[in-house]
Amino acid sequence: MEATEDQLILATGGYDHTIKVWQTSTGNCIKTMRFVETSQVNALDRTPDKTRLAACGYQCIRLYDLDSNCTAPVINFDAVQKNVTRLGFQEDGKWMFTAGEDHRVRIWDMISAPPHCSRVFDCQAPVNAACLHPNQVEIAMGSQNGGVYLWDVKSELHEQLVPELEASIQDVAISPDGHYMAAANNKGNCYIWELSISPGQMLSTINPKKMIQAHNRSILRCKFSPDSRLLVTTSGNGSACIWKTGDFSKWRELTIKNYWIWDAAFSADSKLLFTASSDGVARLWKLETKTCEREYTGHSKAITALSFNDETFD
Amino acid sequence: MATYSNQHWLLSHIRNSFISTDDTGICETVMLSDDMPKHYLRKFQTATTTMDAYRRSQRLQASHQQQRKHPEQRSAPLHQHHMMAPRIADQPLQEVDFLCYPGLDLSDDEDMDMSTHSFDIQMYPEVGAHRFRSNTAQKLEKLDIAKRKAARIKSVNYNEEVQPPDRKDFFQRKALSEPPADKPTISTKTKTTTTLTKSATTTTSTKSSSDDDLSDRGVRSMLTEQLARSPKQTQNRFIEYARFDGTAQVGMPTKRINVYVNMLPEPERNYPLKICVLATAKIIEVIGLVCYKTTLQYTDAVQLKSVQHYALYMTEDNDDMEDFPPLDNREPCSKFGFSHLTLAERRPLAPVTRIDYQLGTKSMTSEEDKVAMADAAVHALQHINLNGDVPDSPLDQVKEYEQRLLNHNDMLEAPMHRTYRLTIIDKRFFKSDVTLAVSGERIEIDQHKNTKFWTNRKPVSTPIDLVAHCEIVEQRQLKAVLRIWLKSNSSSGIATSCTSAPSGSTATLSGSNVGGGFGHSPSSPRHSSGSSSSSPFGLFSSVASIRFKHYDFDTDVHTAEQIRNKLNCILEMRASDIRREFLHQRERKQEKHLAKRPLKL
Repeated sequence: MEATEDQLILATGGYDHTIKVWQTSTGNCIKTMRFVETSQVNALDRTPDKTRLAACGYQCIRLYDLDSNCTAPVINFDAVQKNVTRLGFQEDGKWMFTAGEDHRVRIWDMISAPPHCSRVFDCQAPVNAACLHPNQVEIAMGSQNGGVYLWDVKSELHEQLVPELEASIQDVAISPDGHYMAAANNKGNCYIWELSISPGQMLSTINPKKMIQAHNRSILRCKFSPDSRLLVTTSGNGSACIWKTGDFSKWRELTIKNYWIWDAAFSADSKLLFTASSDGVARLWKLETKTCEREYTGHSKAITALSFNDETFD
Repeated sequence: MATYSNQHWLLSHIRNSFISTDDTGICETVMLSDDMPKHYLRKFQTATTTMDAYRRSQRLQASHQQQRKHPEQRSAPLHQHHMMAPRIADQPLQEVDFLCYPGLDLSDDEDMDMSTHSFDIQMYPEVGAHRFRSNTAQKLEKLDIAKRKAARIKSVNYNEEVQPPDRKDFFQRKALSEPPADKPTISTKTKTTTTLTKSATTTTSTKSSSDDDLSDRGVRSMLTEQLARSPKQTQNRFIEYARFDGTAQVGMPTKRINVYVNMLPEPERNYPLKICVLATAKIIEVIGLVCYKTTLQYTDAVQLKSVQHYALYMTEDNDDMEDFPPLDNREPCSKFGFSHLTLAERRPLAPVTRIDYQLGTKSMTSEEDKVAMADAAVHALQHINLNGDVPDSPLDQVKEYEQRLLNHNDMLEAPMHRTYRLTIIDKRFFKSDVTLAVSGERIEIDQHKNTKFWTNRKPVSTPIDLVAHCEIVEQRQLKAVLRIWLKSNSSSGIATSCTSAPSGSTATLSGSNVGGGFGHSPSSPRHSSGSSSSSPFGLFSSVASIRFKHYDFDTDVHTAEQIRNKLNCILEMRASDIRREFLHQRERKQEKHLAKRPLKL
């Protein structure tokens, strides 16, 4: 694999209107990029070729070049309304999806220049979360009115579920093996569904699997580990819980007292976890021992999003 | 205006101009003894015999002020009503004509009247030979820069019409490798290897997963490898100061300083390290940032110690260190206007500490003081040895613990003058903001001027000899109650030097009234004079009847600990009889308390 160590970086963004790029092993900040002065960073993702970093926030979506020394964005989206809550890339970088509080999830063709919108889905409520299925055509979405959607971008079929009334879905996740879909809400509950698909079927079949009362306060993120054996939920009660997907029992709990844990990311071997918290520090945890291995300090305010793309060796 | 014919005004003007344009932050220290206008005023006023009534009254006022207050920078025009004084403008210069310029020295009483205050004179480094450009010009330039930047940024309209993809294969469903239902997933990469190894890995992974379903699956992460290669020790020790790097923040005021790092070997030492630091950073944080940058830039050149070992010194741009004390660690770096500084090992003890203008007292640590301090330290050490005979008492353990806490640096820094803003708890209930100043010679409590409801109290100054002990009596998560014990001035003896302390009930800071003080402090070790006979130290029988009072302060835990450590360190070094007696009384009280307990049961 041609990935060099330089590309093994952690990107964080938060309320101080900056995006920072860190050398993961030393904790040194390599680069600071200016985000929009009126917005926090809601989500970060790197393009699959690792050259660009996309960030979204209030009324803005920006793409930054990671290779150059320039800290200004290379692509800027104009006339964005309200918060853009999530974004992500198709695995070849062909297209990008964005989810926003304008009720819409959009698909952006990134091959053509300039990028243009090739699909729109209307959730009829502000969209808090979106996540791409590993099959690269289905997108799971979660809205503020409690709806969970699965949408096939190819056929434009979709299915809607409401797991809990009067609860806002804060995040959705699909396991990398495509078996599970998780949706976490502001009541601290996490719902798990099993996904299955038979040949010729356009949209996965959704079967309820389990409900976990994960936290006593709002969950902010949920994410499956690369080996699909773990699920992490981060919360406003200062803890991140790691659940085993075998039986969805709690395996580990990491705590950063009195702070919100806004985001998390696993290493490729699912043994390490990065957390972004409201104390302005990103941390790297060893899950086996629950010890904090590295701290990344430099943000002057809460960190609300992080992005880490690990590599595996053959 | 007739001001230019008045020598006093001219001299004061020159002096004040110098002070207000000084950016070293220590000119007051240097110039304290050279207050020429005052000096002349004093000299000639005593010589003058024929003065009219107006002049006499002015002189009285002026000489009165000389003992009270350092002149502050004030603009004269506010006191124009004084200038109606009869005066001949073109009189030949005579020594006796060194007249006090009315209003240059103001009495403290006028401080109460806020209308007499003028704004502090402030110099901005940007104001040199150039005036500020107008706001419009700056705005236009900003717009221009933004435009040029935007030209390089590709723009996408978020709300554009949906254009379905032309190519059919734009959205492509990826077939997911369906793992065997009864076996755990194996990464796709393993599958590409030969069937022989594949079956081998599968069996091993199944086997291990039966032991622990979170065992290794042979996936090797680059991050894990990288961490294994760079142990935690390689992490920069000064990384906590990285956040003061001005280049890493957006929209915050910053400051650029060139710092010579004295610890570096010869060639590197001669070139300054250019740093950009947040303007709000304190000097200690600037030191930390310089250490951080140094270790990044010269990885193997030098092994740095902790930030406490270093200090920033004023320097010329040819990196010659000047013979001034280092910049105060607690001051924000924006206060100083230096372009070049030198980071060097902190010199043992600064000859000059700080001068408190508020109360007109100065705490200079002169050579004699140093000798006295050294003697006191030796005394204290001997004293500790003596006490060491009774190691089992809880107090000694506390002492031992305290002693361990006080490292060398604390000992050096303890006698330095320092002020803290706290809230004093008055009669258990009322709280008011005060400034507590602690130095090697005295503690001073001064109430803030802005307190609305209660009558202003005069500042209290207590010589350190009367202070017995300092402790934290109550500690919550963030707040703490700090108690300073001192000798009650109601008893005789040394208390005469405590005249500035308030007396009577009107000016009582918490507990200065003896009865009241003890009334609300059940733990106060008040004893009848008879109990002193049980003292094993016959020596102290003369001071055995000492009664103690205390001040309670409300503050955050960190400040409370700082003050406690500082004050107790000073007291330890001085080893005064008062402190010994206090601790002794308390010990006895505790013993009594313990002795009584079983009886009650």
